[in-house]
Amino acid sequence: MKTKIGRTLGQLTVVAAALVAVSVSAQIKIAQVVELSGGGTAAGSQYRNGAKLAINEINAAGGIMGKKIESIEMDTQSQPAIAKAMTVKAIDEKVTAIFGPVFSGSILVSQTESQKANIPNFTGGEASNVTAQGNPYIFRSSFNQSMGMPKVANYMATDLKAKSVVVAYVNNDFGKGGRDAIVKELGARNIKVAGDISTDPGQVDMSSAVLRIKQANADALFAYLNEEESARLLKELRKQGYDKPMVGETTLMGAKVIELAGTAANGVRGHVGLTADAPAFKDFSAKYEKEFKAKPDHNGIKGYFSAYMLKAAIEKAKSTDGKAIAAAMKNSCFKVKDNPGILLDVCFDDKGDIDRESFLVEVKNGKQEVTAMLPMINKH
Amino acid sequence: MKKTTLLSTQHLALLTLALLAMCFAPALLKTYGLYLLTLWLVYVIAAMGLNLTVGYAGLKSLCHAGFMGVGAYTVAIMMKAGISFWIASPMAIVICFALGLVIGFPALRVQLHYLGFATLGFNLLLVLFFRNEEWLTGGTFGIQNIKRPDFFGVSLESNTSFYFLVLAITVIFGVLLALLLRSPWGRAFAALRDNPIRAESTGVNITAYTLMSFAIGAAYAGIAGALFAPLVNFIEPAPFGISNSLLFLMMVVIGGSGRFYGPVLGAAIALLLPEYLRFLKDWYLAVFGFTAVAMMIWLPGGLLSMKEAWQLSQAKRAAGQKQIAEVAAAATAKGATA
Repeated sequence: MKTKIGRTLGQLTVVAAALVAVSVSAQIKIAQVVELSGGGTAAGSQYRNGAKLAINEINAAGGIMGKKIESIEMDTQSQPAIAKAMTVKAIDEKVTAIFGPVFSGSILVSQTESQKANIPNFTGGEASNVTAQGNPYIFRSSFNQSMGMPKVANYMATDLKAKSVVVAYVNNDFGKGGRDAIVKELGARNIKVAGDISTDPGQVDMSSAVLRIKQANADALFAYLNEEESARLLKELRKQGYDKPMVGETTLMGAKVIELAGTAANGVRGHVGLTADAPAFKDFSAKYEKEFKAKPDHNGIKGYFSAYMLKAAIEKAKSTDGKAIAAAMKNSCFKVKDNPGILLDVCFDDKGDIDRESFLVEVKNGKQEVTAMLPMINKH
Repeated sequence: MKKTTLLSTQHLALLTLALLAMCFAPALLKTYGLYLLTLWLVYVIAAMGLNLTVGYAGLKSLCHAGFMGVGAYTVAIMMKAGISFWIASPMAIVICFALGLVIGFPALRVQLHYLGFATLGFNLLLVLFFRNEEWLTGGTFGIQNIKRPDFFGVSLESNTSFYFLVLAITVIFGVLLALLLRSPWGRAFAALRDNPIRAESTGVNITAYTLMSFAIGAAYAGIAGALFAPLVNFIEPAPFGISNSLLFLMMVVIGGSGRFYGPVLGAAIALLLPEYLRFLKDWYLAVFGFTAVAMMIWLPGGLLSMKEAWQLSQAKRAAGQKQIAEVAAAATAKGATA
């Protein structure tokens, strides 16, 4: 049986040799290190599809500076340790940029590898600490959750006039980060936190959580869970007849959540950084639906944006060198009129955080409807 | 009594060859390949321990990833506090050994799948502990930037040097396990698995050996965890959950439970097969799952039982033909008398 190991090693060597051969070409190679199985599949595959759509468009239009983009996909199984290993694998293949992972816990770990290799790394992660590591190569494709939360808190204070709010969150880095941010913002606006309810990642039965939400008897609910868990929570809220405003930030109103929760999602409202139902994203949505036979959500837009953002950055830097690309994006704004693919004007700060317009939405008849558009947070 | 040599010449030659291959492998591999190879060795250590508990002593344990987690967290937390890896890792082993003793107690009362459930519950408990005791374990954020150790002033930070450390430790603990299995202890474990009542009647202290098989198995998981943390540089609760406990069990069973090299092969399959199947994109984990199911149907004794399984089927066929011949002969005889 030891010979088996020998054979396996032999095969490994062959594979390695093959990879070396492939990497020598006049293309721009990128790796999509995303969640294609496990708890993050909904988010990861949307992101992957969005990026794929953009890459196909860019290639059809002649590529970036005459070079075609070649994309390789790697599944993180929604686990940080595998995400890190896959990022190492991508670096072995000498990629120009890495897209993903989308889950904050994964990008938090994998970005140390892309940083070491000086490779720009786009992420869909929204946890605050993702850009707090002093990594010059990390770039978000959506808001830092700490930038979204003040807008949500404002909405609950002024529009809903809530005096007390019950907070339900998923007990992972994403959920906890959001919970900490919203509790702080609510406190700053003198809104009482009537209940602080944690749920497990992958939790199926939400009945006790909903019972506690009802018992908290607050003016409104703020729920911050990943996609599948959000849908389960909404279904259970409907089942138990919860009748107070249900407010979320981005995920609770996501297309996947609406699809899974069905009519139970009606009436949900909140703030989103990106929504496929906003006028700026209409064209993109139509193309995505045609290609993948599914509605895109904010993660689809993130992936699409990431690919076009890379194009804009390479064209600005006039180089595919990682350092030059990163430098071209830091403290810079990009306009839609120069780069149509980025869909909304964006500005990056020195940490890789993003600023752009955002939206207040409400779910009506199984669709997100934009009720208001909010300006960029900072003047650029 | 006939004196048995420690290893047959053929066995020794293959082992030397394999070790040589392992020594030259880093020169041929890129970063990711080497990472996989190192991870495989870590899994081999853990699976060797589980093989002792499940394969040799016959106790269904489903909390092996939990033990590994205890080892990993012990090392990570102690190293973050500035304590050397060379003190932290023996501590990890000792703590896991002690925990193994504790978990062994239910095994004295319940058996088979009931024991499986009891250990499953324990694994769940450990994961909840890792996730909720944020002051100690970092909660869902985990512990980041775990350094690799020095060895008498020589840094093992590079992937290659760390690989050789893991390889050396794997070999050392592999040899220790082989010696243990050849000692009267090894035979006592097997007796415990095959027929506990008879084992007890021949003077084997069932209580002691049950507890020891759990404790030693857990200690191996502890070593694996102690190496896993500096290998990945980062730990969080997920890799130590129930699904990975099941994966470890699968490694042992697929390789050949109760066979010394079973875990070596099983870990390679559980780790490398999904890698090779990645070209199937969205389907690779499904195909991997079906492959495992198929293996269990046709080779319930694991891959290393292939030879025996073939011999058995040959024997069965021969026996079947003999039986047919006998029945035919009996029928003829009956016909003759009628």
